[in-house]
Amino acid sequence: MAATQPALGASNYRLFKDRAARWGVSLGGVMVLVALLLIFFYLLYVIEPIFRGVEVNHERSFASPAGGEVVAMGVEEQSEIGYQFNASGELVFFALQAKQGTDWEPGKTLLREQVTESQPTAFAQTQPQNNRYAYAVEGGTVRLVEPKFTSKFRDGELFITPQVGKVNGGELIQVDPQGENLTQLAYEYDGESMLFAAQTSDNRVIVNSIQASRNFLSGAVELQSKFTELPITGSISQLVVTPDLRQVLVRQNNRFWVYDVSRTGTVKERQLITMDAPRFGEVTSMQLLAGASSVLFGHANGKVSQWFEVSGDDGRRYQFIRDFQAAETAITDIVVEYYRRTFYTISAAGELGVFHTTSEAELYRGKANEVAADRVVIDPRANTLLLMNDNQLHVFDLINEHPEVTWSGIWQEVWYEGYPEPDYVWQSTSGSDDFEPKFSLVPISFGTIKAAAYAMLFAVPIGLAAAVYTAYFMSPSVRKVVKPTVEIMEALPTVILGFLAGLWLAPIVEHYLPGIIAVILLVPLAIVMFAFLTTQLPQRLKNSFTDGRAALILLPLVALVGWFSFQMSPVIEAWLFDGNVRRFLTNELGITFDQRNSLVVGIAMGFAVIPTIFSIAEDAVFSVPKHLSNGSLALGATTWQTLTKVVLLTASPGIFSAVMMGLGRAVGETMIVLMATGNTPIMDWNIFEGMRTLSANIAVEMPESEVGSSHYRILFLAAFVLFVFTFAFNTVAELVRQRLRDKYSSM
Amino acid sequence: MISVTPTDNQAERLDLENLSAEQTALEIRNLNLHYGDAQALYDISMAIPKNRVTAFIGPSGCGKSTLLRCINRMNDLVEICKVNGEILLHEKNIYDKDVDAAALRRNVGMVFQRPNPFPKSIYENVVYGMRLQGVNDRRTLDEVVERSLKGAALWEEVKDRLNASAFSLSGGQQQRLVIARAIAIEPEVLLLDEPTSALDPISTLTIEELITELKEKYTVVIVTHNMQQAARVSDQTAFMYMGKLIEYADTNTLFTTPSQKQTEDYITGRYG
Repeated sequence: MAATQPALGASNYRLFKDRAARWGVSLGGVMVLVALLLIFFYLLYVIEPIFRGVEVNHERSFASPAGGEVVAMGVEEQSEIGYQFNASGELVFFALQAKQGTDWEPGKTLLREQVTESQPTAFAQTQPQNNRYAYAVEGGTVRLVEPKFTSKFRDGELFITPQVGKVNGGELIQVDPQGENLTQLAYEYDGESMLFAAQTSDNRVIVNSIQASRNFLSGAVELQSKFTELPITGSISQLVVTPDLRQVLVRQNNRFWVYDVSRTGTVKERQLITMDAPRFGEVTSMQLLAGASSVLFGHANGKVSQWFEVSGDDGRRYQFIRDFQAAETAITDIVVEYYRRTFYTISAAGELGVFHTTSEAELYRGKANEVAADRVVIDPRANTLLLMNDNQLHVFDLINEHPEVTWSGIWQEVWYEGYPEPDYVWQSTSGSDDFEPKFSLVPISFGTIKAAAYAMLFAVPIGLAAAVYTAYFMSPSVRKVVKPTVEIMEALPTVILGFLAGLWLAPIVEHYLPGIIAVILLVPLAIVMFAFLTTQLPQRLKNSFTDGRAALILLPLVALVGWFSFQMSPVIEAWLFDGNVRRFLTNELGITFDQRNSLVVGIAMGFAVIPTIFSIAEDAVFSVPKHLSNGSLALGATTWQTLTKVVLLTASPGIFSAVMMGLGRAVGETMIVLMATGNTPIMDWNIFEGMRTLSANIAVEMPESEVGSSHYRILFLAAFVLFVFTFAFNTVAELVRQRLRDKYSSM
Repeated sequence: MISVTPTDNQAERLDLENLSAEQTALEIRNLNLHYGDAQALYDISMAIPKNRVTAFIGPSGCGKSTLLRCINRMNDLVEICKVNGEILLHEKNIYDKDVDAAALRRNVGMVFQRPNPFPKSIYENVVYGMRLQGVNDRRTLDEVVERSLKGAALWEEVKDRLNASAFSLSGGQQQRLVIARAIAIEPEVLLLDEPTSALDPISTLTIEELITELKEKYTVVIVTHNMQQAARVSDQTAFMYMGKLIEYADTNTLFTTPSQKQTEDYITGRYG
């Protein structure tokens, strides 16, 4: 009895080890899950702001400092100072908020200057980012003004002082050589030249292009004026000049003219649109969108319609694209942002609307803080909104970080500026500020699937065939060498594969294209022919022809067929494709050929995926219990019958998961597609064109995206989509595998 | 000491040394077998009579299963295995170069130690061998299933669920299913490699009764560890030891009056 006591004591230690192991394993498992969930939620946390709406928060209100009728307003970049132009030619700067170290209080006038000597007859302003204003005064002359701000640091604080910037030395510019008063004015400049369009009091519509040149000797600036008249009669409603100084847009009630003035001194009518009033509504206002490619029309029925030039049979012509129901009453004012395609509308009932054209998003609609506004202006950074009504100014804080992104804009066709039709486009950045970002995840998701599909086309037959051969036919001694060798291939850095694919394989594929295609077609054919020939041998020979020896004879055959294909490549090229396959494809068949194409990616990524598929499938086939295959063989089945009817069936769960694991790897693979494709986000199944995948897209663009920008968050969304892709593949794979295993599980 | 009493169902005695051609199912002549450098069978010669149950007994590793597997060339699957000598089936050496192993195995069926149904339905398991030969006619297959399952004494238990998975059967039922599968293609010889060693006593009894019935149509060769089983089911018994055939005789004779000392030691439980 006493002898059992020490045994009990010892079991305590064993119990402890057992518990510790169990806890350790559970902890590890839980940590993996937690890490996954953390990634998942972090991605969501970064993505979430792009789907938020606009917030408009009332900050403060005060009396409008400029008396009389206000013709324009503006806000400086720091949103500390606002300014107003009134109808009597005064420019007034005022504080938008109280500021420490100064006597500023909201609405306090900081600077008031009479810009014109006499009562102005017309007023014009450039697109917001050019920030220039023009008053027309008596005698067909114009005075240009530029509100300027100088910043100084004092005691670590930024102090901004407003200034009235004089353009052309404050001198008046003669716009109408005939000296008539101007009743309508439009003005734009591109840094060198200025373009004026105006209607005179005698109802002529004139265009004057003015170029400033500096005299080298005297240093004096001379203005050269090129003047033309537009063939329009009668009073017009609105004039707009595009910032590239190439077009003058004229609106006369519901009629809309486009004049080409790109050759200075000449005028060509490009287009006349008579807007169908019942369809679109009476036009009440007109405004160029940021980037100046689109024209927005406000309509009496509360709609805003967007028009831009689309290439057609008769050149580029303005065309109706989309409209927004901005209000129930007539649109009185449309204000655009400096860089983004967001615009703000004011209706006759004083309702504010915030919209984005690309994403077709209604971001805000209603009376902010119950203010029935009759004017609105936005600061350059688009985070302060200034509303005006009845000589009262209202400052609003605007939170509108990601107006360009909506769920539908990401996944549906969008009609981008300048495109002939709605399309799926990914083009996140370009050289210019006016650029309309195109965030469609469809082409890159498509690219991911395309790359994976071609890789799988290459990898699945080879990987599975190799796995089945190794596990089922190969002698154990050879298998012992082959299996680890193939598995080591998996450890090959994909950057090397991508490098080889891009720089070595791609030119070979291009040069020997008929040879490559011939190899793909002839090698399987040769193998099948060889197999058929062996069955025709007499039984005596067949028995001595074991599987191992067959493979030894097959290998040189495959090599020979490959060599033959490559040797034949130039011959086939000369014979069938007029000596150059590339040219033949492009010219005769109309198939685009990129050097870094899906064929190269399919081969290179297939090569990376093969070890994954091989390793798992080989294990699955090899672990089919011997007593099952023996049972089949004992019933008189041939090896092949046993393989197809019993072994593959039993191994099917494992083979299926091998394919799905391979697919998961192909979907997430980055370096190979990054280096071996052109990374062009196109949507085409053409095997001779490249693609851009989600993973490559993230790798290419993440370093250049501004943290917190829409682009940045969209890239996170791309990562999230990738995550969901692989997650979905693996989940489906696991579910199917479980079902297969339940069905074919053996003892 | 184990007392072994042969049962009454033994057939009349045959002169195993001088069987006529009609009485012989198989003849093994000077069979030697090597696994690599190790010899596993030494110069085995014996004749296995038709429509009888022949049992191979002997201690573990004596080569009885190896010998059995020679008869349908399952040893071919072992790469390092080399066979010398002859096994004659219908006067034809099955190790001749022009013999197709698959065709041979259609005539020499085999049932293994552990039940090994395929991951298919009961029905598909039974018709597997028929389908291999390209028989797909539903009516023929139905008949084969019924005949084979009746032949394996399983019909009554599974006739209502032929499409259920074979894995839904108990171990004993699975083994009978495997026997049904083997006899579905009507082999001449049925090799049973310790068919009851993985089964419970009641299933074992069922299988043993079945074996006795099977010999009416087939020549049965059974390897068993269990001497009582050999005594109960077989007509003649071969005792093997260390790869050699020590004694081959009528079962009653072998168990009651063994001629060799080694045989006696084994059946009386001195070793094994």
